[in-house]
Amino acid sequence: MPIVELQHVRKAYDTKIAVADLSFQIEPGSMFGLLGPNGSGKTSTIRMMIGMTVPDSGTVKLFGQPFHRDLLSRVGYLPEERGLYKKMKVIDQLIFLGELHGLDAATARKRAYAWCERMEIIEAAEKKTEELSKGMQQKIQFIAALMHDPELIIMDEPFSGLDPVNATLLQDTLVDLRNQGRTILFSTHRMDQVEKLCDAIALINRGNLVLAGGMREIKSRYPRNRVDIIFDGDAGFLDHPTIESAKNYSGHAEIKLNDGASPQQLLAAAISNGTHINHFEVMEPTLEEIFIETVGGKADA
Amino acid sequence: MRNVWLIAKREYLERIHAKSFLIMTILIPIIMGGLLYGGAIINSRIGSNHIAVVTDNPQFAEDLKTELSGKNRKAIVDVYSPTEPGVRDLLEERMKKRSIGLGGYLWVTPPAAGESRGTYEWDPKAKADIVTKSRVADAVRGVLARETLAQKGMSATEVNDLLKPVELKPPPRDRKNSDAAFASAYGLFFLMYFVILFYGMNVARSIIEEKTSRVFEVMLSKVRPAEMMAGKVIGVGSVGLTQVGIWIIVGLAALNIQGLGSDFSDALPTPGQLVCFVIFFTLGYILYSSIAAALGAMTNSEQELQQMNMFLMLPLIACSVVIFRVVTDPDGPISQVMSFIPFCTPLIMYTRIIVHQPPIWQIALSIVLLIATIYAVLWIASRIYRVGVLMYGKKPNLPEIIRWLKYT
Repeated sequence: MPIVELQHVRKAYDTKIAVADLSFQIEPGSMFGLLGPNGSGKTSTIRMMIGMTVPDSGTVKLFGQPFHRDLLSRVGYLPEERGLYKKMKVIDQLIFLGELHGLDAATARKRAYAWCERMEIIEAAEKKTEELSKGMQQKIQFIAALMHDPELIIMDEPFSGLDPVNATLLQDTLVDLRNQGRTILFSTHRMDQVEKLCDAIALINRGNLVLAGGMREIKSRYPRNRVDIIFDGDAGFLDHPTIESAKNYSGHAEIKLNDGASPQQLLAAAISNGTHINHFEVMEPTLEEIFIETVGGKADA
Repeated sequence: MRNVWLIAKREYLERIHAKSFLIMTILIPIIMGGLLYGGAIINSRIGSNHIAVVTDNPQFAEDLKTELSGKNRKAIVDVYSPTEPGVRDLLEERMKKRSIGLGGYLWVTPPAAGESRGTYEWDPKAKADIVTKSRVADAVRGVLARETLAQKGMSATEVNDLLKPVELKPPPRDRKNSDAAFASAYGLFFLMYFVILFYGMNVARSIIEEKTSRVFEVMLSKVRPAEMMAGKVIGVGSVGLTQVGIWIIVGLAALNIQGLGSDFSDALPTPGQLVCFVIFFTLGYILYSSIAAALGAMTNSEQELQQMNMFLMLPLIACSVVIFRVVTDPDGPISQVMSFIPFCTPLIMYTRIIVHQPPIWQIALSIVLLIATIYAVLWIASRIYRVGVLMYGKKPNLPEIIRWLKYT
């Protein structure tokens, strides 16, 4: 049973169509990336998932049931637009948000401190929110979404505005949660960021689904026709017939092979040519390349 | 319900703990008291106590002085003889000197043959000083009346009794006199009026604050918009009630301590009226807070809110316009109709109850209408809020708002 299931969902705001016709599903215990350029309808899709707006047509199912508000107690949500009560102490804020999800005050307090420890902001717990840096506030929001130990975690652009150290901390936490069996959905327009993170993705553009499915499965649909070579010596092998196009940055060649060509042939040719090979890698296409290839370079990112 | 309570508690505690709450709680009574007391003092000193009389009858001047002097006031009357050369110039000269403080002079010309009354010419220092003028006129009339009555053979005590002001007493079955009822009706009317005006807007501000800090999206993933609205109205509202409560309690305590309580006991409302006050005050407050919540949901900034302020003010202004009519004619058609318009009910129906008990069914009906309206306004406000917060950036026009109400 999929945790989230969208069927032919459509949402228009006045004349602007935010989501045209979207269907995908998220399997339990997976890390799911909702990807697309800015304005592609990611936030609109997420808002329909948590019932903040209602689709004009189509259905949203959570945990196998048609959406109703009581299901939200099993969902943790981090909105793209971050906001906290500025005058409130961090710890009080977390307790308050936890209580709204049905926790009692004592449990909420215990969890809030535990999370602050884990996210390395325990020294901020007694401060007022307005005294904190933006990155710290973002971590607090992150905690707020997780206070009630939700089965489904939905995060809209969770990594935007974080420094690499904190982004990694967040990623690791999400991976931990996934390994504990939680289902995680996050959206981002930084496709390069999520390649290694996601089990499954949905790529959307202008409110339409471009492609969806398991990460490996999607990548396997596209040929591994790119080769990275770092070499010393003669570059004559770059004229080899298997090569469709090649860029040579003085000893570092990025090569695209013809369809069906074997990279092994190229490697053999290079060696027999007497070139010294330091590095030879057959690469799968990146998500970004897949996206651009699929939408025909019309991504208005 | 739990969420409403949690939201209300958060709003309440945050505001109560703010320094501004403490400062305002102390400062407002001081400022108001200062204005009232200071104003009373300034006004009681209006008019001059020092005038000059030009007459050849020293007895008249003496009587005038007695007449002008009141319980707390000692009048100074300088007497000049009209035969003195250059007396007019002298008086003009004296009036110009600030240190003398002469408010004007009265020139008395004795009655010509065949006339009963002389002529009295009043030349004031300040042309617009109508207070001193009417005081002098009253005093002259008093002196003449006494003179005439004494000439007709009445004794001084008889004259005093005759000229004493008449007091209209309430019948013995009424505990209170009408002046006190009047005062307490007005007092509570304006208390309600100002509190609704000052604090109602706080609800709107708190909703806008939520929008500008973008907390609402987190909140909306946890609670329903209607819970959010109700929590805000109750939480922010309770702050105002707390503040007013503090003022009332401290005020009553101060009256008791000073032993002034007995002077004011007539003005204090009866327990029944107090219950009505609490009911109507609370409901009225909730109603206007709900309207303010709707206004807050429609707007994105304080500036935009200022423009919408009108909708909150208009019903209150309408009430204050008809309040005189209601007090004098509590069962008249205007009073009856106004007391059933939910936006006016809290103020008008309450005033009617204080002034003259209306039928119970009318009170009950007005309360039911009021509660129904509060519910409707909150419902509309939460819808506007829910759609409005997600489409920020642009102020909605009326057709858009109506369309929002239809969104599910």
